[in-house]
Amino acid sequence: MSVVFDPQLVRLTLVVMVPFLVAALGELLTERAGVLNVAIEGIMVVGAVTAFLVAFSTGSHAGGLLAAMGAGALIAALLAYFAITLRASQLTVGLGLFVLCVGLGSLFYRIVIGVRLMVPQIRTLPPLPLPALAALPGIGPVLFAHNAVVYLALVLTAAVSLLLFRTSWGLRLRAVGENPRAADVLGIDVVAMRYAATIAGGALIGLAGGYLPLGITGTYSDGMVGGRGWIALMLVIFGRWTPALVLAGALLFAYIEALQFKVALVAKAVPPQFLLMLPYVFAILVLIRVYQGAAAPEAIMRPYDREERA
Amino acid sequence: MRHPVRVIALLFILTALTGAAALPGQGAPAKLRVAMILPGTIQDADFNAVGYVALLALKNTLGVEIAYSEQVAVADAERVAREFIAAGSNVIAFHGGQFLTIVQKLGPAFPNVNFIMESSGRIEGLPPNVWNIGRKFYQGFYTLGVLAALSTQTNVIGYISGVRLPDFVASLNAVKAALREFNPRAQLLYTFVGDQNDPVRARQAAESVIARHADFIIIQVNLGAFGVIEAAKAAPRKVLWTTFYTDKYTLDPSRFAASLLLDFTKPYREVVARIQRGERGGYYEMRPGAGMSLGVIRNVSNETKLRVLQVFNDVVRNTRQIEEITDRILE
Repeated sequence: MSVVFDPQLVRLTLVVMVPFLVAALGELLTERAGVLNVAIEGIMVVGAVTAFLVAFSTGSHAGGLLAAMGAGALIAALLAYFAITLRASQLTVGLGLFVLCVGLGSLFYRIVIGVRLMVPQIRTLPPLPLPALAALPGIGPVLFAHNAVVYLALVLTAAVSLLLFRTSWGLRLRAVGENPRAADVLGIDVVAMRYAATIAGGALIGLAGGYLPLGITGTYSDGMVGGRGWIALMLVIFGRWTPALVLAGALLFAYIEALQFKVALVAKAVPPQFLLMLPYVFAILVLIRVYQGAAAPEAIMRPYDREERA
Repeated sequence: MRHPVRVIALLFILTALTGAAALPGQGAPAKLRVAMILPGTIQDADFNAVGYVALLALKNTLGVEIAYSEQVAVADAERVAREFIAAGSNVIAFHGGQFLTIVQKLGPAFPNVNFIMESSGRIEGLPPNVWNIGRKFYQGFYTLGVLAALSTQTNVIGYISGVRLPDFVASLNAVKAALREFNPRAQLLYTFVGDQNDPVRARQAAESVIARHADFIIIQVNLGAFGVIEAAKAAPRKVLWTTFYTDKYTLDPSRFAASLLLDFTKPYREVVARIQRGERGGYYEMRPGAGMSLGVIRNVSNETKLRVLQVFNDVVRNTRQIEEITDRILE
């Protein structure tokens, strides 16, 4: 079987893609409203620890994921308050929240779990084979025997795309991100739209973080988000602020990340450090190419003040 | 006049007595204040947790005062150490093999402070106030290699490591040596995931070796182990695994094979006790039988268990020599 393409690699790509995709969708929603959420990595950390602690305490995966979404929404609401209501610098507040969230993740875990010589573990999300499809020879187990969140991520991609480009709410949201003054003149509540998008985006980012312990590892550890939030931030640019391209970017990045370990097993002459940086080199190269001509929402990072003179 | 003289004399005697009580006697060691610098979180149930346990043991058994700082990056370690020294700590323990250059710098700068560091073995030219705990992981991993060699059904063994440190390279080479000796047909698929504590990466790496028919994985990552264990659970065939530092049997009793257990309490207690006795520096070797033991072997045949235990005991008694190669991976 080829190193660069085999069923196991495809299956792994789909599993690895989820946190990138869901977090990027959350960020995309937020940015489309004109708010840059650079607390994304920290919100994923809080999502991860919340999902783990709730699932560990209640035994419920759904409860854990919902709690992660709630925690993500809460942090995003805080960002929204500072960035939208108080019109503070989105970058400064976002970075501040990122640092706070990383500390909170560690603190919550320490308070609830404490120091143990045996890490508490939960059962990871069970596979949910799709009837009939999972039985298809060859591709069935690879594409249709994943846990529920993998399917949910794909459904969310379609839903966000429809919401943004096929509904009047989506049109209003995009207008707020492009030209909030014009939107305001047309009677759109800019503040409410930005709050809604930021909070909904935060919930998705929290879900992405929650997937890591519940879907992949069965446990929580400090640093487990491992820069995936920053990659998701990059994927929004890669995807030119459209869900379909974000999905393509997430698949591509997940594929490269999964591939490096397969290559590492056969290409012993290549230093492992080089293979480990491969996804990031790829990200930089792609971004340099893709960023040319990509247009961010016009009003991103610009606080809106309706009293301000144009 | 007589009364003032008596009062002054009395005051002088009292001052002399209280002063004498407050000062330590000539040559008597001051109360030890041990500060440990840990590279990761003490809640990792792994390397940092066992370091923290060793520190607590120092307080409980030797009566020393303790302090610690966790998640200290190498770049911050010198600053943290200086802060501990400024706050009165007179023994600074660096838990991890990545702090050598800092110890070499701080040792001469603070001759009245004792430093404890960890490494892969003896190091020439260390300052006289430095204690070096040499960790011979490879000797223990050789035994895990024997276990893997005798247990695999597919003759494909996975080896998931984190950072390419000399200790870990030596361990990988020791596992390779064990396979050559006990099952030459077995193939070893190894990978360094670049992080000791990223379970997501570790799971990806483990799934890759499982996809290439590995049915036994030797784990040499810390928190990353949980990702490997999840990959083994999700595998289409039974995949056994081993870990190190702590016993992780309960994480998956049906696939756990063994753990190489490391008890840092033993070397730290001995080193600090010797500091209390006035010794300034030295070397302690942590190896099978000295702070390193093999946990209960499970899920393999009794014959394999006995064979592996015999090999481990040979290593403990030094009747089986294993080559230590830290600078390259043998092919």
